[in-house]
Amino acid sequence: MSRSVAIIGAGPSGCFVAQALLKADPDLQVDLIDRLPVPYGLVRYGVAADHQGTKGVVRQFARLFERQGARFVGNVEIDAALLVEVQNAYDAVVLAGGLSQDRRLGIPGEDLSGVHGAGAVTRALYDHPDADALPQLGRRVVLVGNGNVAIDLLRLLAKSPEELDGSDLGAVASEWLANSPVENITIVGRSPAEQAKFDAVMIKELGKLSGVSITVPDLPDTDSPDGAKKIDALRGLAGLSGGPKSIAFRFGMTPVAIEGEGTRVTGMRFSDGAGAQTLLPCDTVLTAVGFGAGPEALDRDRRVAEALDDGAGCLAPGLYAAGWFKRGPRGTIPDNRADAQAVAARILSDFERQPEAGKPGHAMWQGRGGIVNYADWQRIDRAELAGAADGRCRHKISTRAEMLAIVAKTEETT
Amino acid sequence: MKIAILYGTETGNAEMLAEDIMAELEGAHEVTCANLSDIAPADISDDRFYLLVCSTYGDGDLPASAQPFAESMDGSDVSLAGVHFAVFGLGDSEYDETYNNGSFRLAELMTAKGATQIGERVVHDASGSDLAEDIAFPWAEAVVAQASEHLGQAA
Repeated sequence: MSRSVAIIGAGPSGCFVAQALLKADPDLQVDLIDRLPVPYGLVRYGVAADHQGTKGVVRQFARLFERQGARFVGNVEIDAALLVEVQNAYDAVVLAGGLSQDRRLGIPGEDLSGVHGAGAVTRALYDHPDADALPQLGRRVVLVGNGNVAIDLLRLLAKSPEELDGSDLGAVASEWLANSPVENITIVGRSPAEQAKFDAVMIKELGKLSGVSITVPDLPDTDSPDGAKKIDALRGLAGLSGGPKSIAFRFGMTPVAIEGEGTRVTGMRFSDGAGAQTLLPCDTVLTAVGFGAGPEALDRDRRVAEALDDGAGCLAPGLYAAGWFKRGPRGTIPDNRADAQAVAARILSDFERQPEAGKPGHAMWQGRGGIVNYADWQRIDRAELAGAADGRCRHKISTRAEMLAIVAKTEETT
Repeated sequence: MKIAILYGTETGNAEMLAEDIMAELEGAHEVTCANLSDIAPADISDDRFYLLVCSTYGDGDLPASAQPFAESMDGSDVSLAGVHFAVFGLGDSEYDETYNNGSFRLAELMTAKGATQIGERVVHDASGSDLAEDIAFPWAEAVVAQASEHLGQAA
């Protein structure tokens, strides 16, 4: 009997671990378990709706299920007790559930109304079943953070409705963006521009926007080739004046406090590191400063801190971690692919050193209700593709109930 | 014919396509498939036909797995005279300025060392509606047919 691996979290990192395992040993039993009835995690809910090319990576993941024997065990929330059962049933368990919680700035005023985390906003924009409603934005936005998540949000807020053609943005999100009162976005980074976390190509992409005017401060030259690319990309945007929405970049400013009147935001205060403070008046603050473990994350921070070998993703004997869950909220899809391959190699080398235990693996799910398998997901997928509105490539179903209704309906008729 | 497929990949899409092309050609030819990260310029020989499958990443850069090969080529005085290759690119037209620049640069590196390109570079657009293999399989068949005229005796 072959060994079994349960990967908790069917997002890109979990899928890449499965891919590397099955490439090395096609006989392994590999199950990808997810709390949602749909697979692919951040490729579906984090990669921007207007970056469909990037989402093409799911063709690799579909192959895991369609040709390589991996199984999808969807709609199963793994809590601490169920994790123990999974560990008993599988030879190895990989925690790859990502990091879902917006990191807080840890400054006064963060709980004023009008302050929103980028993760919460993008989850709502991308129709995640656990998303809150889209927030009411104001006219003047301060966007804190310089990672690619911040740039995605900036771009979506700045795009005209026509520029969202071909995306999979839903009707509610499309209307929210089209009717957005936002006139002015100041995007503020803590680091100097050459050390900003965004990729230069993300900045260049902003140069194609038709409805914005962009200001960029004078930026010093840098010796770092990577930094120089960022500076060049930013300079390329300076003075772009295509339209009514204005975007201003600011760098080297550390958040100090969010200020308000009553419960409403009125401005955000920053320090330049040399003692001078700047107040940016605004009515909305969006924070995009990283992610941390949410309440569903199985005590992630403790497990990673106590890991046997955190570099290789080994948390404890038979228990591994991959992706953002392992590495923190850093790195793009390919970075996490390389890392997932290293985790898979570690699992395989641990298998070589241990006798086979004849664990039941996938059989543990027999008789358990409510599980969504890959064929079920394919029905949801087909319904989403068939339901695409004009100018959209997909109509994402936004609630668990509707997803499960599609699964149930097909079961009745087959 | 002896065919060597070499891929440069970042997210794995080019790797998957390279493996698919191998499966497609295997019946009629002797095919190998390798990551460019495992290949040195001196490994390339004129007794087989090379199919290069390469994506683009970042700001029109070669993908990570092709970069060590590119650096070795730049610093090498190897001659690839007599070597024949064809190139297929994967890109995303969302980034139009640098669209499919990776495969273009890889082809340049090969011809700079004297290798001969067979056929035109063909590219797939991740933001388009075609599947990569639907474009790549006919491309592979066509360039293999052309190549057999050039290196029939060597193969």
